[in-house]
Amino acid sequence: MKDAFLLVYRNIRERKTRSILTMLGIVVGIAAVVAIMSISYGMQESITEQLSEMTDIIMVTPGSQELGSFGEFGSFTERDLNDVERISGVKEAAAMMGEMQEVEYRGEKVMVEIVGIKPRDMDAVFGSTVKLEEDSGSGISASGRELRENDRKACQIGYSIANDYFDYEIGVNDRLTINGSKFRVIGVLEKQGGFRSNVDAQIYVTKRDAIDIFGTNDISSIFVRVRDIEEAEAIADEIGEQIDDNHKLDDFTSAMAMGGAIEDLNSIFQVLQVFLLAIVSISLIVAAMGIMNTTLMSVMERTHEIGVMKAIGAKNRNILFLFLMEAGVVSGIGGVLGCIVGWGAAEVISFGIYSAFDVEIAVVMKLQVLLGGVAIAVLVGILSGFYPARKASKLSPVEAVRYE
Amino acid sequence: MGKAKTRKVECMIHTENLCKTYRMGDVVVQALRDVNMEIKDGEFVAIIGPSGSGKSTLLNLLGCLDKPTSGAVFIGGTDTASLSENALAEIRREKIGFIFQQFNLIHTLNALENVALPMFFAGVGRDVRLKKAEELLVKVELGERMYHKPSELSGGQQQRVAIARSLSNDPAIIIGDEPTGNVDTDTGTAIMQILEGLNREGKTIIVVTHDAEIAARAGRTKRMRDGKVLE
Repeated sequence: MKDAFLLVYRNIRERKTRSILTMLGIVVGIAAVVAIMSISYGMQESITEQLSEMTDIIMVTPGSQELGSFGEFGSFTERDLNDVERISGVKEAAAMMGEMQEVEYRGEKVMVEIVGIKPRDMDAVFGSTVKLEEDSGSGISASGRELRENDRKACQIGYSIANDYFDYEIGVNDRLTINGSKFRVIGVLEKQGGFRSNVDAQIYVTKRDAIDIFGTNDISSIFVRVRDIEEAEAIADEIGEQIDDNHKLDDFTSAMAMGGAIEDLNSIFQVLQVFLLAIVSISLIVAAMGIMNTTLMSVMERTHEIGVMKAIGAKNRNILFLFLMEAGVVSGIGGVLGCIVGWGAAEVISFGIYSAFDVEIAVVMKLQVLLGGVAIAVLVGILSGFYPARKASKLSPVEAVRYE
Repeated sequence: MGKAKTRKVECMIHTENLCKTYRMGDVVVQALRDVNMEIKDGEFVAIIGPSGSGKSTLLNLLGCLDKPTSGAVFIGGTDTASLSENALAEIRREKIGFIFQQFNLIHTLNALENVALPMFFAGVGRDVRLKKAEELLVKVELGERMYHKPSELSGGQQQRVAIARSLSNDPAIIIGDEPTGNVDTDTGTAIMQILEGLNREGKTIIVVTHDAEIAARAGRTKRMRDGKVLE
């Protein structure tokens, strides 16, 4: 075995440039597979992690069934909220009011989404995932405090509002003008990013202040937490029917259980992964043809040598083995390099996504992806080396020896 | 065929009405016509004749590199025509050592590895293999050049490596196709001396040559012309 390796290694080295080019095909193919897999695992992981605390949530919005279309087709009333709270299995129901409003800071005016919510409901909506920004250690409280029920003209602002929206950074105790009235910033929220980056671009005020600003007490969405996740789908249906009844309309309400949405998302990810792999495997097919071509050329060039080996007693399977091994070794090395390159590429892509979209996607490198990558490479190599190797093994010794 | 297989013969190699025809496009070339010959154990036979007389074809058939069109080659009583490709490979590996005019060493391997190669195909363990290869190289007086690649050796040295290689599975028969054809006269003589030495040790040696002087050193000479052996 060791000598077979030696023989194979010498032949690979003998044709260095060609071997490297062949290898490169495999490297690219495997790197693409590894990079795509680790990035999509990373995406899936970061999204499910963000959503995992939301599995007991039912998001109730008026109008269309689509995610992200808030309050475009009407709004809910206090009565709807009270009815929802009375449905059995509902632990908490939090009403949110949202509207785009003009916000002014140091003479600069920007349209920002203002969200009104009862401070005690904030936990119900966000759980423990939304926190005040950590104190940077400067000794001055940069993060402030939570909203309280009796706060008047006070607001909490999202991370992006504090840092990006205005020319000047906004900190605790700074004053903003929202729709003509002065508000004091009492807290800056920690950066959310990713799936919840909308929180970064919102300003939170108490429900009472929101009613003043908006001039209405219409509710734009209701967040419901259920006691038992198993019942979430059934409760969501009941909520929908109840509110539709209140408004004497069909399909007025969209009540979506987030747990189901997470499952849907996971299956979408699986489909996406299969699709991406299918695209990437095209590059593996190209690489396979490269290996086949190289091995065929190698067989042709070494016809004489094969003849000599047969003359001195090599059996067909000895020859077959040597050529399969050559293809396997070239592609195996290519596979290992491909894993390394793919890993690097994944890190670069991750950094690129972070720089461009401010979304953090960690590279999730699974051992089975790496091992699978090398295994696929070797398999592709051996499969595509099989035809040329067989051709070599079938050569007639007399004709092969005579071939120059 | 069955009759042929079981037939007892005292000679190592013999042929019966051996014919080989090649088809080159529309032209049929009769390379061998009804060759009947016997080579006994331990003989040193030289086959001579002009080029195209069929001596290489005969050698390929005797060496189990090729199959006859008709007739038979018996090696140690076995009809080779009845054997599978694998069985023929085994005969080449175990019973026959080949020496070529062009030496035909594997250029990526050094002298030692080249000599060990037939043993590698025979599945001999690495240590045993390398030790034996070393002994054989010492025997052909190349103990100093074991780790040199063929390109670093002279023609005569390469042919001595090839002789060592032909001996590696300890075959009974050594077949040389113009073994001195590519070296100068002195080296040719030296190579013949090695072959004579092997013959004295009991090996059956068959060489093809067109050099009468070389042929004269053999115990018996067979002359060929137009695919026939002339006695």
